[in-house]
Amino acid sequence: MATASDTVHGRIEYAQTHLTPAQLAAGFLLVAALGFTLLFVQEPLVHDSLHNFRHAAGITCH
Amino acid sequence: MLAEYLTRGVKAGLVAGLVFGLFMAIVANPLVAYADELNHAATEDGLDTSHSSEQNAEHGHGHDTHDGSGEANHQNTAVSMGVNKTVSVVSGGLWAVLLGGIVFGIGFYFLEPAIPGTGATKSYVLGIAGFVTTSGAPWLVLPPVSPGAQQSLPTETRLLLYGGMIVAGGLTCLLAGGVYNRLRESNGGTIAAVGAAVPFALLAIPTVLAPTNAVEGALSPDLRAGLTGLFVFGQVLVWLVLATTHAQFRSADDSSAEFATSNPDSAVVGD
Repeated sequence: MATASDTVHGRIEYAQTHLTPAQLAAGFLLVAALGFTLLFVQEPLVHDSLHNFRHAAGITCH
Repeated sequence: MLAEYLTRGVKAGLVAGLVFGLFMAIVANPLVAYADELNHAATEDGLDTSHSSEQNAEHGHGHDTHDGSGEANHQNTAVSMGVNKTVSVVSGGLWAVLLGGIVFGIGFYFLEPAIPGTGATKSYVLGIAGFVTTSGAPWLVLPPVSPGAQQSLPTETRLLLYGGMIVAGGLTCLLAGGVYNRLRESNGGTIAAVGAAVPFALLAIPTVLAPTNAVEGALSPDLRAGLTGLFVFGQVLVWLVLATTHAQFRSADDSSAEFATSNPDSAVVGD
């Protein structure tokens, strides 16, 4: 924790210099798509097939 | 580096996903189906719960084919119970992988220097924070409901509330971590722990302010409480497995001096 690189800021800077915007966008999209599908999609086909899972995860949106 | 952290997070997610998938398949699926069946029976008895029937129409093959309302129910469910169960098991696995990747991969990478504790403790602290953020805080306002229950708040409101409480929970955890680190330097561990508890008490404020969501259903209160407890247990299990395996993977790659390039010796904090 005493070292210069081992701070939250250091890690953010490191990520900023080592990741391309495309990588960031891809990662963000992947997470967003998966999370949104699992948790929030209300479309009947998706919603009904996730029904048991959403109950078990404690998220119920119907 | 980031890639290693991410890999470790996703690996922990895979293990937790396996466990939670099994939990879905063996425990949650049959119980939710059973509860739906009870609801369905109650609906047929004339309790007009059109809401609950949306989700359970598949169970009543035995008795709803000759029943008008049963037919209507059938049209409301888009998929068969088999699909529901299979997809739910797979989603359970994906859910844990997602949490592992985000929280224990990316989140741990960025927050590691700020997470209180050393070594494996960091994984467990992050696990608690993750549980509080994604489930604990939202459940203060919207506890997990049993199948077929009718809720007084509309879906959109509940989604907003849920999302809002996730944000509130996340900020609370960050604040608690910050308070802990700051107090620890000046006042020692005990006072720091007490100080870190204060932000969690603040979560009571949005909980009280949020509109209440009255839940009613055909199930008996005991069964409902049991199901809620089961769902809580399931999520606690996910986070526990995530944290445990993450700690294991971390000590396994002890050579994982992530910032070895710059600091070979001091990179692994306290291990």
